[in-house]
Amino acid sequence: MSWLDGLRYRARTLLHPLDHARESEEEAAWHVELDTLQQRDASTARRRFGNRTYHVEERRRAAGLAMFDTIAQDTRYAWRSLRRSPVFTVAVIVTLALGIGINAATFSMLDALFLRTPSGVNGAHELRRVWIEYPGPAGTFQSQVMSYHWYRGIAAAVGDTTRAALYFAEDEMHLGRGRSGPLVHVVYATANLFPVVGVRAALGRLYSPGEDVLGSPVNVAVVSDHFWRTHLGAKPSALGDTVRIQTRTYTVIGVLPREFAGLSTQAADVFIPFAATPPPPWVRNPRWWDAEYMYGYRAVVRMPDSLDDSQLATRATESIRRLSRARKDPPPGADTLARVTLGSIIEARGPAAPEQDQIIVTRLGGVAIIVLIIACANVLNLLLARMVRRRREVAVRLALGISRVRLVRLLGVETLLLALVASGVALLIGWWSGTILRRLLLPQVEWYDSVLTSRLALFAVAVGVLCGIIAGIVAALQASHPALTPALKDGARETSGRSSVRLRGALLVVQAALSIVLLAGALLFTRSLRNVTRLDIGFDRDRLVFGSMEFDDEGAPPDAVQAAGLERVAAQIRGRAEVESISLAGITPMRGFSFSTLLTSTDSVRGGSSYPSYNAVTPNFFETAGLRLLRGRTFEEHEPEIVVNEAAAASLWKGRDAIGECLYIGSRAGGCYRVTGVVENARRDQVIEPEAAPMFYMSMTVPDTARRWKPQVIVVRARAGAQASVASVLRRSLAREFPQGYPSVKSMAEQLDTQYRPWRLGAQLFGAVSVLALVVALVGIYSTVSYGVSQRTQEFGVRVALGAQIRDVLAQVLGEGLRVVTIGVIVGVLLTLAAGRLVAALLYGVAPSDPVTLTVVGLALLATAALAALVPAWRAATVDPVTALRAD
Amino acid sequence: MPKNDLIPGTLDMLVLKTLTLGALHGYAIAQHIERTSGDTLRIEQGSLYPALERLLKAGLVTSKWGQSPTGRKARYYTITASGRRKLGQEIEDFDAIALGISRVLGRAEGK
Repeated sequence: MSWLDGLRYRARTLLHPLDHARESEEEAAWHVELDTLQQRDASTARRRFGNRTYHVEERRRAAGLAMFDTIAQDTRYAWRSLRRSPVFTVAVIVTLALGIGINAATFSMLDALFLRTPSGVNGAHELRRVWIEYPGPAGTFQSQVMSYHWYRGIAAAVGDTTRAALYFAEDEMHLGRGRSGPLVHVVYATANLFPVVGVRAALGRLYSPGEDVLGSPVNVAVVSDHFWRTHLGAKPSALGDTVRIQTRTYTVIGVLPREFAGLSTQAADVFIPFAATPPPPWVRNPRWWDAEYMYGYRAVVRMPDSLDDSQLATRATESIRRLSRARKDPPPGADTLARVTLGSIIEARGPAAPEQDQIIVTRLGGVAIIVLIIACANVLNLLLARMVRRRREVAVRLALGISRVRLVRLLGVETLLLALVASGVALLIGWWSGTILRRLLLPQVEWYDSVLTSRLALFAVAVGVLCGIIAGIVAALQASHPALTPALKDGARETSGRSSVRLRGALLVVQAALSIVLLAGALLFTRSLRNVTRLDIGFDRDRLVFGSMEFDDEGAPPDAVQAAGLERVAAQIRGRAEVESISLAGITPMRGFSFSTLLTSTDSVRGGSSYPSYNAVTPNFFETAGLRLLRGRTFEEHEPEIVVNEAAAASLWKGRDAIGECLYIGSRAGGCYRVTGVVENARRDQVIEPEAAPMFYMSMTVPDTARRWKPQVIVVRARAGAQASVASVLRRSLAREFPQGYPSVKSMAEQLDTQYRPWRLGAQLFGAVSVLALVVALVGIYSTVSYGVSQRTQEFGVRVALGAQIRDVLAQVLGEGLRVVTIGVIVGVLLTLAAGRLVAALLYGVAPSDPVTLTVVGLALLATAALAALVPAWRAATVDPVTALRAD
Repeated sequence: MPKNDLIPGTLDMLVLKTLTLGALHGYAIAQHIERTSGDTLRIEQGSLYPALERLLKAGLVTSKWGQSPTGRKARYYTITASGRRKLGQEIEDFDAIALGISRVLGRAEGK
């Protein structure tokens, strides 16, 4: 086929341009050689052949390769012209790189959370996470956890056992016995998890349903590639080795492919058959999977072809309701109210309400885009200013007959080159800030891949080039049709082209407005953080240190021994100088709570949306914890007495004094506890709780019908600033007392840190980004004003020569600069009001429309803008009239 | 007699016609055209190679590197099937134009 010959030839020419050039040269040389032989006269031959370079070039043109020559030429030209103005070049590259870099970093977060399906999974679009929707006190809520029974019901609804699987992951566990081994993520999964997600063993085999029979499990394990490399020496002979995880030992039978590490963002190291799950020591039922309180399993299904999502969800809902009704003790509400829904295999896509960390990530994505817009506007501004400075050069080129297309291309190549270099720098920034962001925002995620993926690189380059092309084309179009005569005459001074001036003003407005949005965001987050940390949680957060003991399942001493040991430790350190007060409690404050039915002589206690909870403590607990006793006294040890908090007193005995009233625990048969005091409210477990929960405190030494309390935790009130030394003393004493256990010692501030963390994070991230944006915007304001001043040097020279005072010129220049910024501030405030509800969920105690915030931010921007404009204004005001008038 | 430049647009036709003799290298093509025209036509190397490039791109000829009789590496051009078709068409067109020109010059009888 002849046309194919042609195509093949064209392709080869384009793909191997160097070969083509070499061959052309060779052919030309051969031609001359032959001619020389023919003519016997070399000079005649060369003359006959003419200008060889010209011929070769003609041939390149005919071959369609000349385009590359012009591009190379344009690139060389652009490079030279950029090198000649290093300040401009660096400013553009840094601005653009910051904008793209921040986007790259946040994109990598968003990608990991929302876009990427779990790696190594086949046919992810067919997989669904199973969610259960429950009715809750504040609307419905979604949870992925369910009982084994419900999983069976859902699997029955799917109709195919190879299409539904159950798994659950423990927190990190120590390898080997005790707490000294490395931490690993263990996932317990039914044997059909692997076929459901479409994963095969890379080495050895996976466990089969025959090894996953409830009641007679086989202790085998399949490990991840990462685990195999780090813990089994990457040896194929590791198959058959055993892995000990606390109380059980498993035989390794297979290694998973490198890319598969489970279904959650936390990478799984070891997979163990569900049937081989070691049940918690407190589970008495040998059929532990049957117990309704064993409630932490997740299900994943592969959609059958015959059903769509809603059909399967309806079937599964009917199935679990049927199962619940058939039970002897159906969980309350489960028979009619729980509902199955199906969600994407990408967990963050819901249907559950997003976590605060996730909201921060998405908002940060928005902020990154804002920064990018500011950066692009700034780059465009710089480019426009540069174009005006190059008006004479452009006019000369046009006068010499360069085509407009060629001119635009020439300028376009220049911006493209800038954008590419900026993208490269941006990747460095993105890699660096992305690493930091990962640690800050998603610390629970085990990242096996680098921040810098090919997707990310592609993203950064695409954004950079897009931004470069837009800015470049606008600037080049502006520059490519000047009126030639004035341009040649006036040179760099801008006498015409008001549209360019207007465009730059508009860009400045955009930058100022977006800066206002970011600054307002940062201030709102900072104020939220302050509001949250200043919340009175009741307890003396900064003085308390808690100490308790943890034991291996087999090494735990009886409760009475533990209690006696804790009392001895408390007695040992009671007299120390850094200890102000010490007491014992059944439950660590704000780390769990206990319910019981509480009855007054006439009513049972209900606490609205916050359930009543109680704790058993020693009598001096209140002074230790920093809870003020409002009325009455603390209880006596060994007496059936009880202290209630204000919320309980107010809700139980409305209008009456609680002191002296009677309270029953469990049932009225257990006898009356006399209320001896009312203590101030404290948080139950959250720093932010919608309303104070009723709480009850009583002695640990009173026989209690509901539960026999033993001290579990030592509560120490340290002297100011001595928490660290108290913690280490406490840890040492506990370790001495219980050599077989593991002391857990934490200050209250440490314990609550996870709750304050999202607030701190929001404030820090938005703060950092908005400062960056502000800097970029200020550079823009400075360069625009100072550029405007330099354009009008002559005018100022004339004014000064005619007797204008320094303050007149200053006022004029500042006024012109600030007028634009003021418009930007107004637009920015309006934008902030409009965008406010997007961040409302991340704020506490301050509204997005907070007038103080908006005023402060607006004034701050105006003030800094004035400073930025002052430098060029001063230059204008102190211009020497003689020099100015002599200037170009 | 001074050598004449080609009538524009006829070079491709002449090259294709020459290649119907067999595979030839560039110099031989030029030589052949000059010789057979009785040295009336001069082939500029600067236009020969771009013309060959055009023909290659259009798939009318193909090229292959081979040995010349003197043992040197040379690039040989061969006409393709569509090159032959094209040649026929070009000759027809050229005949029509030549006839038209002759008529204008009063050297041919109109039909």
